[in-house]
Amino acid sequence: MTQKVKIEIDGRTCEATPGEMIIAVADRAGIPIPRFCYHKKLSIAANCRMCLVEAEQGGRPFPKLVPACATPVMEGMRVQTRSALAREAQQSTLEFLLINHPLDCPICDQGGECELQDLTLRYGKDKSRYAEAKRVVKDENLGPLIATEMTRCIHCTRCVRFGAEIAGLRELGATGRGDHMRIGTYVEQTLGHELSGNIIDLCPVGALTAKPSRFRARPWELIQVDGIAPHDGLGSHLHLHVRGRQLVRVHPRAQEAINETWISDRDRFSYTGLSAPDRLGEPMIKREGGCWQALEWQGALQIAAERIREAGSELGALIAPNATLEEMYLLQRLVRGLGAQAIDSRLRQQDFRGDAADASLPWLGVSIAKVEEQEGILLIGSDIRQEQPLLAHRVRKAALAGGLVATVNPYRLDLTFPAIQFTASPSGMLRELAALAKALRKRGSGTLRTLISEVKPTAQQVEVAEQLKQAGKRYRGLILLGALATAHPDYSLLRALAHLIADATRAKVGFLPAAANSFGAYLAGALPHRLPGARPAETPGLSAEAMLNKPRKVYLLWGLEPGFDLADPAKAVQGLDRADFVIACTGYRSPALERVADLLLPIALFAETSGTLVNAQLDWQSFRGAIPPPVEARPGWKVLRVLGNLLELEGFDYRSSEEVLEELRKQCAHAKPNNDPRGDLKKLPPRLSNGDRLYRIGNVPIYALDALVRRAEPLQANAEFLQVSLNPDQAAEMGLGAGDQVEIDQGEGKLAKAPVRLDPRIPRGCARIPAGLSGSEQLGPQIGPVSLEKR
Amino acid sequence: MSLKSTPQTLPTDPAVRENLFNPEIRAAIDRHIAKYPPEWKQSAVMPALTLVQEWNGGWLTIELMNEVAAYLEMPPIAVYEVASFYGMYDLKPTGRHKVCVCNSISCLLNGSEALIEHVKKRYQVAPGETTADGKFTFKEVECLGACRHAPVVLIDKTYGENLTPEALDRWIEELD
Amino acid sequence: MLQALREYFQSLLLIELFRGLGVTGRYLFRTKFTVQYPEEKAPLSPRFRGLHALRRYPNGEERCIACKLCEATCPALAITIEAAPRADGSRRTTRYEIDLFKCIFCGFCEESCPVDSIVETSVYEYHFERRGENILTKEKLLALGDQYEAEIAAARAADAPYR
Repeated sequence: MTQKVKIEIDGRTCEATPGEMIIAVADRAGIPIPRFCYHKKLSIAANCRMCLVEAEQGGRPFPKLVPACATPVMEGMRVQTRSALAREAQQSTLEFLLINHPLDCPICDQGGECELQDLTLRYGKDKSRYAEAKRVVKDENLGPLIATEMTRCIHCTRCVRFGAEIAGLRELGATGRGDHMRIGTYVEQTLGHELSGNIIDLCPVGALTAKPSRFRARPWELIQVDGIAPHDGLGSHLHLHVRGRQLVRVHPRAQEAINETWISDRDRFSYTGLSAPDRLGEPMIKREGGCWQALEWQGALQIAAERIREAGSELGALIAPNATLEEMYLLQRLVRGLGAQAIDSRLRQQDFRGDAADASLPWLGVSIAKVEEQEGILLIGSDIRQEQPLLAHRVRKAALAGGLVATVNPYRLDLTFPAIQFTASPSGMLRELAALAKALRKRGSGTLRTLISEVKPTAQQVEVAEQLKQAGKRYRGLILLGALATAHPDYSLLRALAHLIADATRAKVGFLPAAANSFGAYLAGALPHRLPGARPAETPGLSAEAMLNKPRKVYLLWGLEPGFDLADPAKAVQGLDRADFVIACTGYRSPALERVADLLLPIALFAETSGTLVNAQLDWQSFRGAIPPPVEARPGWKVLRVLGNLLELEGFDYRSSEEVLEELRKQCAHAKPNNDPRGDLKKLPPRLSNGDRLYRIGNVPIYALDALVRRAEPLQANAEFLQVSLNPDQAAEMGLGAGDQVEIDQGEGKLAKAPVRLDPRIPRGCARIPAGLSGSEQLGPQIGPVSLEKR
Repeated sequence: MSLKSTPQTLPTDPAVRENLFNPEIRAAIDRHIAKYPPEWKQSAVMPALTLVQEWNGGWLTIELMNEVAAYLEMPPIAVYEVASFYGMYDLKPTGRHKVCVCNSISCLLNGSEALIEHVKKRYQVAPGETTADGKFTFKEVECLGACRHAPVVLIDKTYGENLTPEALDRWIEELD
Repeated sequence: MLQALREYFQSLLLIELFRGLGVTGRYLFRTKFTVQYPEEKAPLSPRFRGLHALRRYPNGEERCIACKLCEATCPALAITIEAAPRADGSRRTTRYEIDLFKCIFCGFCEESCPVDSIVETSVYEYHFERRGENILTKEKLLALGDQYEAEIAAARAADAPYR
């Protein structure tokens, strides 16, 4: 620890680390210093001049006022923030800032929570002497998320620095000079970065505000409720701002260990999907001829209970991995209580061959905050910016601090930090990893042995392996498996290879959860091979794949859309079609769901229900409902409780979701995070051959992750649509050009049409055809053979 | 992590980079790049813009600025910032010559105001605009660094010192 | 004793009664100041706080910008506003309602309005016949504003020197 120095601010003695800025010390001591451009997470610009203070060192005053944000402390420094001189500077600075700031607070969304308003009230003069014309700046259209009113801008450049330092993509800049200086993109463009919404919070004035909630509410009307983000594996902490019965906007809640002070745009704007037009408001039943009829809850639940009772052990349950822990736990109690074993939440997984060797309770491997301290990170099958936007920021920090980031992916990623990318077709990914293992002199056993013996590592692979080893020696190596790995037909082999590399480098293996509560499923037992408390089931039940292959009598679908949320939607729909009865507990009606389901039960979604989500570092994060669910929709745990009662199962008399949680918590007392494989893999032949077939890579784009996001209109406005991305060389060989319509065929009538896009980041032998997008519901496996035909 | 202390690089495909501008300009920019540490390639942005502007006949298009950004592997917005900040970069088509009259303090005291007024009236052109015949673009610029001989006018690359409206007229006559 | 005797005679001779009748008689012939409402009406101050109205600019554009200051300042919580961007992107109310049962006619809404949009007119003659009529909707308020604009403008002008 470095030595501490003592400084005096406004007569109070404060302890500080040498080199710290005055403002940071004052903030810690709770002494207010006004500021606009300073932000603790951004670099220092010292351009707003609002934090000028009087200071003296060793009895000698500084010749003029110094900016508190850019003046490092020294032993014995004395600072005065409220002296006559400092006050005068504060008043003058505000007077200058207000010269060109419009007095349109009544129509400004920031009015009431504006830093300029607050500081003017507290530090400003009450009269302006400026009578000349004010500057007017033309607005820019920054896309569907951020509304601009650039006349209000005070040029603090927080948004510009955010782009350069946090997002890693400079989209905004300060062009022009003097009075003509303006903040903008210069050439009109939509801000495309997945964290760009944070500049709304950073902007101290009303120049950048949220477009979806524009003019909808005043800050004083809003009630702030704590929430947890329901999308990625971080479970970012949120402030939900509620007006009446409506969720008006979402802000980040600072949580240094998880989301720092940021949230991704997905977490910020997905709430707009809550009021989608196809939201299910009341229970519906399918009558003769496929027409839907609304009915009362009581009748609906009785029908459901009857059908479930009839099915008994022939019941299959699929639950979305973003369901709450309480819902997962109750659903598995219900399923197992009836003697059925078929429950799964790994909806996008294809390869369940490794279940016997699955980690007992997977997690990130290190805490979220520690990711940025890693010196070697190997990302396997993860488009991390799309999957876990804020974790990508942590990885970026690790890379900028000099750490090695290497990726093994089926397409080249757009990263905002230096990384060594090994790009290969799905079968090639195995070979890339095998080569890394070989570079580490590992031979492996069984299938891995064959794989490893066939490859020859390149110089770069040897280099990466060596660096990983060095990082592992200092306990700073991490191997992460992402969503593209999970969807891989040879996921078991990828995982085994990851463990093998980890073994050789002493790096830790970590898993990136596919959704907000993927790891919660292990704790709640919402998996065929895990009982509550992550205890291994003696006789594993049917996995998602198996229960769709061997149709059940009755299915219970929880919070998922069969066309978008399953690894092989076409096959899943066929499987569900063959069932006697399908009960879907869902927030929305969607065509694919209406086709397969016979009974729709409306459940509460994000912010409407209380519950718990377990994030990547296995924090149990509970939240309360902020708004009532629409019309007749009910919180999921209540629906399951009543179903349990109707089925006369024991112990379904919960009075609150906390009781459910408490019961589960007791069973989880001994659950310890553990990523080690349980036992060896038997000999598993790779499912993918090295042949020259074209493979589909069905990544899930950032705004196609779950039903809520898919209905968030502002996010969808510029989101990806279904396209076939091909390597230009490959397309030329196939006689295809950009914009050509092709028919995508994955066999067994799995057809869809989409235009071709040329993208050099796609390796040859692959076609990137995303999943979760409109049009993709007719397709087959996310990663699997595909053929294209020009139409 | 800071905006200033860490250069932000956006790697450009070498194949694309090798086809920008023409070989002479690439060589000239490379000579400037060589003056800076390798990771600070973007320090050469000003000479690069000057070279490209001259090559394009006196002004910069957004496409050219994007190409400069690609060549120096820096974000395009950073190039726009530089080009829009400095007066010597023109972002609109210019005339055959550029008549730049200094409007900073020493020149103003010594009669550059009269020069500006004279040019405006005599050639019917406002600052920042080009004469109807396309002969020259008239610009008011900040201090040209020759206050000793105020008022100063810069035409293309030549300084004219201690100018009167008549002397300026004669000089403009001689152009082309 | 004497007191009791005097009171006895006074009541016997109805003296109190005649004195009272005298007052009545005097007022019978004095100039009257009773206002014969509704034929006659008392004069009103330009600051009178009667029925509310929403004003428009001379070009027909509604003044209200949905800043919600009136809603925030209303001590009786009589005002309900909902806002959204209009098609042209400007900030406008989609709902502006005043519940006249709640309103205490304090005039704070008028004071807080930065664009002189919500005003209290001098109209005090109104009644409700059906439930719900006590809610002044945005349409009704704007119609009132249109109807009484001349009067409102005159009242503002008369009061302007003192503000």
